[in-house]
Amino acid sequence: MILIKCPYCGERDQSEFANGGEAHVVRPQNPENLSDKDWGEYVFFRNNPKGIFYERWVHSHGCKKWFNVVRNTSTDQILKVYKVNEKRPDLTEFENTLRSPSGEPSVGSGNFAVKK
Amino acid sequence: MSKIVSLPGVEITQRDFHQIIIRGNGSETFNNIIKEKTSVKPPLRNLEVKYDENFVFGKNSPDQWSLIFIDKKEHNQINNLVTSINVNEDLLATDCSYGQVYFEIEGSNKDEFLNQLTHFDLRENRFPKSTMAQTIVARIDCSIYNLGSKLILTCNKSYEDYFQKRLKDTALLSNAS
Amino acid sequence: MTAINNECPYISKNKITFSFDGKTFPAFEGDTVASALLRNNIRLVGRSFKYHRPRGIYTCGIEEPNALVQILSEHNEPNTRATVKRIYDGIKISSQNRWPSLKFDLGAINNILSPIFSAGFYYKTFMGPKGFWKNIYEPLIRKSAGLGKPPKNFRSKSIHQYHNTDIVIIGGGLSGLIAARKFINTKYKVLLIEQDSFLGGILKNTNKVESINDNSPSEWIKETEDLLSNSTNITVLKNTLVTTYNFTNHLVALEDKFSGKKIDLNKSELTLHKIRTSQTILSNGHIERFISFRNNDLPGVMLASSFEKYIHRYGVVPEEKPVIFTNNSSTFSLLKSIISLGCKPQAYIDSRRKDEIESEIKKFLKTNNILSYFDAEVEGCDGNKKIEKITVRQGKNYYKINSSMLCVSGGFNPDIHLFTQSKGLVKWDKQIASFKPDTSFQKTVTLGSVSGNYNFKKLCDEIDEKLSFLKTKKLNFEIKLNVSNKFSVKELWETKKKNNSNWSKTFIDLHNDVTTKDLKQAITEGFDRIEHLKRYTTNSMGTDQGKISSINSLAIVSKLLKKEISEVGTTTYRPPYAPLSFAAIAGRSTYEFYDPERKTSIHSWHLKNNAVFEDVGQWKRPWYFKAYNNETMHQAVQRESKILRESAGILDGSTLGKIEIKGRDALEFMNLMYTNAFTKMKPMTSRYALMLGEDGMIKDDGIICKINDQHFIATTTSSGAPKVLADMEEYLQTEWPHLKVYLNSITEQFSTFNISGPKTRDIMTRVFPNIDFSNEAFPFMTFKNFDYQNTKIRIMRASFTGELGYEIYISPKYGLELWKKIFSCGKAFNLIPYGTETMHLLRAEKGYIVIGQETDGTVTPIDLNYNWMIGKNKRDFIGKRSLSRPDTARDDRKQLVGLSPINKSDTIEEGQHIVEINKLPNKIKNPIKYLGHVSSSYHSPNLNQSIGLAMIKGGNNLLGQKFFVTVSGKTQNIPVEIVNPVFIDPENKRLTS
Repeated sequence: MILIKCPYCGERDQSEFANGGEAHVVRPQNPENLSDKDWGEYVFFRNNPKGIFYERWVHSHGCKKWFNVVRNTSTDQILKVYKVNEKRPDLTEFENTLRSPSGEPSVGSGNFAVKK
Repeated sequence: MSKIVSLPGVEITQRDFHQIIIRGNGSETFNNIIKEKTSVKPPLRNLEVKYDENFVFGKNSPDQWSLIFIDKKEHNQINNLVTSINVNEDLLATDCSYGQVYFEIEGSNKDEFLNQLTHFDLRENRFPKSTMAQTIVARIDCSIYNLGSKLILTCNKSYEDYFQKRLKDTALLSNAS
Repeated sequence: MTAINNECPYISKNKITFSFDGKTFPAFEGDTVASALLRNNIRLVGRSFKYHRPRGIYTCGIEEPNALVQILSEHNEPNTRATVKRIYDGIKISSQNRWPSLKFDLGAINNILSPIFSAGFYYKTFMGPKGFWKNIYEPLIRKSAGLGKPPKNFRSKSIHQYHNTDIVIIGGGLSGLIAARKFINTKYKVLLIEQDSFLGGILKNTNKVESINDNSPSEWIKETEDLLSNSTNITVLKNTLVTTYNFTNHLVALEDKFSGKKIDLNKSELTLHKIRTSQTILSNGHIERFISFRNNDLPGVMLASSFEKYIHRYGVVPEEKPVIFTNNSSTFSLLKSIISLGCKPQAYIDSRRKDEIESEIKKFLKTNNILSYFDAEVEGCDGNKKIEKITVRQGKNYYKINSSMLCVSGGFNPDIHLFTQSKGLVKWDKQIASFKPDTSFQKTVTLGSVSGNYNFKKLCDEIDEKLSFLKTKKLNFEIKLNVSNKFSVKELWETKKKNNSNWSKTFIDLHNDVTTKDLKQAITEGFDRIEHLKRYTTNSMGTDQGKISSINSLAIVSKLLKKEISEVGTTTYRPPYAPLSFAAIAGRSTYEFYDPERKTSIHSWHLKNNAVFEDVGQWKRPWYFKAYNNETMHQAVQRESKILRESAGILDGSTLGKIEIKGRDALEFMNLMYTNAFTKMKPMTSRYALMLGEDGMIKDDGIICKINDQHFIATTTSSGAPKVLADMEEYLQTEWPHLKVYLNSITEQFSTFNISGPKTRDIMTRVFPNIDFSNEAFPFMTFKNFDYQNTKIRIMRASFTGELGYEIYISPKYGLELWKKIFSCGKAFNLIPYGTETMHLLRAEKGYIVIGQETDGTVTPIDLNYNWMIGKNKRDFIGKRSLSRPDTARDDRKQLVGLSPINKSDTIEEGQHIVEINKLPNKIKNPIKYLGHVSSSYHSPNLNQSIGLAMIKGGNNLLGQKFFVTVSGKTQNIPVEIVNPVFIDPENKRLTS
């Protein structure tokens, strides 16, 4: 259970929140003009990186507000929380935080505990 | 009004209040309309609670307010208030007087008691007087209003039996240890 | 023989008795199972997991791999560590994993068969022939594997306690207590957690420390405890073990409230503490490790520091004349302790060279005339169910020593389990020959021996320095020692065997019976990565998680692979640190509190009128009402369904989700959320509507009431209500923030009654005499608001049964009163209450779908022939684009049809397959062509036959055709005809007149 800082209510336990998957996937303005493939991409396909991820959360058992989070999926560190209408932070903001607990490879589930 | 829990340092009483939920944008116009209809100015800061012996008025989120009437009111008074607020296109007021139940929680051990049912951080620096929070207590959604000497906890009416039982069970087991 | 240390301050003088395997023994209050057994000279305690080898007590704490017992008293708790469980008067204990008795165990045949039980045994042995796994191997393994038997008839009352705090100190030993004293009367809220029932750690477990500030260790502990308990900002939890260290400093700890006391079944025996802290201080010490030698599992082998702990913590000297085998300087205090009690070690064996051994130790050995072997090692030991002879090798010479006990010390590992759980990184330290914490990943500080500092003199400086970032007092204690301050160790993991034999074994994991040979074999077979090797051999996978042996196995493996230990790395440490009872994890969320329950305002009436309830989400809904005591569900539902179509019935529909939608863009919003078109809909009318996902599949349905273009009320299914509201909020906040719409859930604000049947109009007119219920004044799918007594009600004309029907919405305060009034007025018309089952039957007769029954997340409105509900002229709504995706637009998708058995007395079962053949072959060799499934099936009392709804591939074109429905457990199928799913009143005359 990690702590998540709701931009409206402050730091709360993860159990009050629900994850909404990848952020900044905008619903197409004119679905009728999209090819089946493009529409399928929107409906069914999402990124799932190991490392920095822009994702949506909702304070479902609190204020019920949606917001965006930049999280390192390999460490569960939350690097930034911002409101839905705020600008997507640039990846370069997190360059110095790009790390895993033990400097493990960026692909795979390996999780080493010994410092090299 | 009925006593649910009475332990050294923990008193929990169930109370009958009326309540309306108001949704709107919090603008100047909004504040004026609410002030005019309810004769109370809504709290401005998010999670702020204004209260006196007649009412508790909390801002639940940037666009939602809860107004709890402590003093006795006729149900039709509440209905009429809701109707008169709802005349305004950009506001939604809903009466939830009998859809919610209310518990007053007092005593020096209330935090430890409640922390058997909720993870919520009740420490004064995290949850100061005159603020409110929506969180999970006994695995159901609740709102907690911090009035300093006491807390008012509300949850959905349908959970009333369950919630009462959980409170009593917690009291029984804390008593035992 | 056992001896007694009368000076022990931690054990009471109160005598108690306990029973072990049916025999009664004396003990003292405060004893653990292990100390009580040792007090009575019992050293054979259990049988091992795989080979059923006799095993004794190896340690004196949480790290115990061998001495697991079953507590028969109260609730038959299995796999209890004898070294942790404290006893009380009358407790009944038994050994486990032996049959028929501990001394004569038939399972020990496994020891003789051991060559086949080597590494990867499970993977290699149980391969075939076909069918053997299910019928022979699995039942056999289930019977013989595992240790104790599960508890019976026990309802735990474990509770959870949450903490939000500033500082957590884990471990109330010397460094934990010094750290805690720094926080006395500071602004920090502190939680000090100790697993034992006494504070003090090494101060109470050894005699290493002579004095602190001229106080004896026990005086200093007492003084510290008083100071801590008088400080309002510090809470001390004893008998509490931290098992879990999660992200963002979230800890889980288990408190045994009844440690050393008989459990009171009315009280909570365990408390699971869930702690969120700003800063964690780990001062959880170190754990001694063993050395692998031949038969290092015989009862009588014990870790040296554990032997010492029995002396000082429990007042028992497990053996007067033990042999000590060490590779480090720590056993000096044990030597001193034994001598000071008038006992004498039989021999002292040190693997270090003479010049490496501290001169004070050599001097002490000489003064006390103790037989000593330097630069020597224990080759192995022998004996029947206990040690009888110990073989020592010094150079090329072998010596035999007669003794029944061997104290082993292979060095000490900082207890890095919690630190690595927190994702901290560890580093190999040659000085202590172990891993120690290096880089913290969270706000974690390690103090004392867990940080790899075995130097008491430097302890205060270390603590001051590491906690200097906090606002605390500077403290300095003068710690005087009985032994040298310097720790020295020489790596030794496994001693050399004299002869090779299958009978004697050298264990690396005592709990799971893994030998050093298994490690070698696994590496030979290619399992050279430590995580693979662990799983292949099951090394360190027991309930002790290899606490005394896992570092040893890394060292042995690294030597075999010719690598550095740090290169081999550790396996991943995962919570829990020690076994955690399921009862504690579940807490109060069991039995009556398994799931929160929701009840309607009419619940008490339902109870009085013999309702049988069904869980719908968290709601308790009447399933059916019993008219008489032994009326079956089938009888009740048939009766209710028949009467309703003849006269009238009423359903408590308060559980239906209700959402109020208001704002200047409400109409546009509703048009986007639902498939239906609401623009041309007249105010004060209502409409059945569908909500889809973006994938075009039906998510929920309900009736939408339009008050005006700016104000709607939507009903949802009972269990779908929270999700529908959440989805609406999501779209408003994230996709369409420009829409000015507000939502409120009003589910709880109304009691809702669905009254329907041909006599409904008469009843309603009696209940509400001022309201005109005529078809002209109050047509189908309209609603009106009325003043009623002191409140307002809303009545809508709608129906889910196919009969004339109304829905009444009223404040829950007045709900029950109105419900009763309806009954008094309805009596003359034979009005009955009905439950969800009758509702489902009636709607199936009418061909109405139920979300989750006909739909399962793969069904579109087109599949249901609900094309009329799709607002085709709307440019967009959620899921619209997906309805024209090639897969969604296929015409051979499963489509909704009705089923009618050709033989009217046949009963169709729900969930059965629809096939083309009338009889299934006895043995199915080739797949049978599958056309679809029965989604709903009931016996209709109104048609007097079985009816079904089904989802069948291309069903729309199959009307009138004959197919077959399978029958559970039989091969003979039921012939059915595909029919229109609307069985009753297809012209909707009853609804609309």
